Amino acid sequence: MESNGRRTFLGLCLGGLAAAAAAVTAWPVYRYLAPRPAKTTAAKVDIPEKDVPEGEAKFFDFGGASAVLVRKRGGDLIALSAVCTHLGCIVQWEKNKQDFLCPCHGGLYTAEGAVISGPPPKPLTKLPFTVTNGIITVG
Amino acid sequence: MALLKRLIDWIDVRIGAREVVAKELTGYLLPRNINTWYSMGSILLFIFVLQVVTGILLLIYYVPDADKAFKSVTYIMNEVPFGWLIRMCHVVGSSMMVLVLLFHMISVLFMNSYKSPREMNWLTGFILFTLVQGISLTGYLLPWSQLSFWATTVATNSANAIPVVGPYLVEFLRGGKLVGPPTLGRFFALHVALIPLGIAAVVGAHLFFLQRTGVSTPPFGLKDTTNRWKGDGYSYESHPGGIPFFPNYALEDLRSIFIYLACFLAVVYFDPYLFFTRDSFIPANPLQTPAHIKPEWYFLANYQTLKIFPSEFIGLAVQGAGMTFLALLPFIDRTKERHPLKRPLFMICAIGGIMLWIGLSVWGHYS
Repeated sequence: MESNGRRTFLGLCLGGLAAAAAAVTAWPVYRYLAPRPAKTTAAKVDIPEKDVPEGEAKFFDFGGASAVLVRKRGGDLIALSAVCTHLGCIVQWEKNKQDFLCPCHGGLYTAEGAVISGPPPKPLTKLPFTVTNGIITVG
Repeated sequence: MALLKRLIDWIDVRIGAREVVAKELTGYLLPRNINTWYSMGSILLFIFVLQVVTGILLLIYYVPDADKAFKSVTYIMNEVPFGWLIRMCHVVGSSMMVLVLLFHMISVLFMNSYKSPREMNWLTGFILFTLVQGISLTGYLLPWSQLSFWATTVATNSANAIPVVGPYLVEFLRGGKLVGPPTLGRFFALHVALIPLGIAAVVGAHLFFLQRTGVSTPPFGLKDTTNRWKGDGYSYESHPGGIPFFPNYALEDLRSIFIYLACFLAVVYFDPYLFFTRDSFIPANPLQTPAHIKPEWYFLANYQTLKIFPSEFIGLAVQGAGMTFLALLPFIDRTKERHPLKRPLFMICAIGGIMLWIGLSVWGHYS
C-alpha cells in the first residue's frame, strides 16, 4: 500500500510537471496568435464641417469600427455607427433616397438610423458629437 | 481511466491498435548494448517538428515581399507578444538542427552502421543532409537583411563556376541578373513548401528503411560484431533478448530530447544572437556590400575551400567530389568489420576528414 502511495504521488508530480510545461509552451503561442489591440488610441475623431455637405454622408473609422456622419437635407447633423445591427455589415448611404441600405440582407434605415424594413432588429447606434469652430468632434 | 480503456477498446475493435503497438513499439526490440548516440535521430525528428510548428507560426506575420519582409520580421521581434521567442526558436533551431545532424552522421560513421545492408538508410540520410543545407540557405534570405542579401549573393554566385551553364544557372536561381525581389519569391516558395515536403517525404523513407532492416547492433559491447548478412536476400536484423523500444528506449529518447531542449533553450534565452552578426539587423541594401560578409558556420568550410583554390571551378569540383564520396561511402567501403578500433586506416581517414573540415571552418571564420 505504501509503495502504491509513492507511485501515485510521483505520478501526480509528473502530471503536474507535464501540465506546467504544456502551459508555459501554450501561453506564448496563444499570446502570439491573439489579435493585437487596434492602434487607434484616440476615442475622439475630428472631422471638418465642410467635409459633410448637405445631403451627403461621410464614413470614417471610429475606434476600430466604421461610423458615419450625415447632414440631412435641411441641415441636421447625425453621427451613427455604420455597422448594421443585423449581422454586422457596413451600411451604404443612398443619397437620392436619403436613407441607409445594408447590402448584405437588404436592411433599410432612415437617415436617423431607425429601421424602415428588412431584418435589422435594432436601429443604428447613435454616436455623441459636438461642433466647435467648424470642427465636428465625434466621441 | 475506465473511460480511457473504453476509448482504446473502441479504437482497437476497428483498427487493431493494440496489435500495431505490440509489433512496432512494445514488441520492437533493440540491441541490448544500444547507446545514447542512437537517439540523435529522435532529437532530429523533434527539431524538425519544432521547426515546422514555429515556421507555420512565423508565416502568420511574415510578409514575403522585398519592401515589407524586413519590417515584418522587426514587427515579429518587437511588437508581437512572444514573437521574439517564436523567431529565435526557429533561427536557433535551424543551426542546432545542422549541429545534431552532424553528430548523427558522425555516430553512424564511427559505429559503421552505414554498411551493407543499410546503404539506403545512408543515402536517404545524405539526401536529408543536403535538403537541410538547402532549407537553411533559402531561409537565410527571408528576413531580407544585409546579411541575408549578400550571403545569398555570394552563395548563388558560386554556381557561376560551373562551365558553360554556370551564368545561366545563377540567373535561374536568382530569377534575375542580381539578387532581388524575384529571388525572395523563389526562396520563399522553396523554404516554406517544396523543401519541407521533400524533407518530410525523405524522413518517411529513412524511417521505413530503418524499420525494414532493423536497428544495427553497436560494434562495441556485449554481442559479436560480425555482419552475417550476405546480400543474397532480404533479412531483418532482429534482436532477441533486446530491450523494447517502448517504453525502455523511448524514455532514453525522451531524456536525450530534454538534454537537447536544455542546450537549445539556454541559447534561446541567454545568447539568442549567437548566430547573428551586425549585418542581420540592417535592411538589405543592394547598393552597398558590407565588409567581411560570411556565410553561416556550417558553410564556412565550403566558403574557405572556394577561396583557397585559384580557380572557382576546381574549388567547386573538389567539394562536389568530397560530397559524392560521402554519399557513396557504403558502396566504396565494402569490408564487413564494424569495430572502429580494428580499422585503423578508416579511423585515420575519418578523423582526418573531420579535422580538415573543422580547420577549414575556423580558417574561414578568421580569414
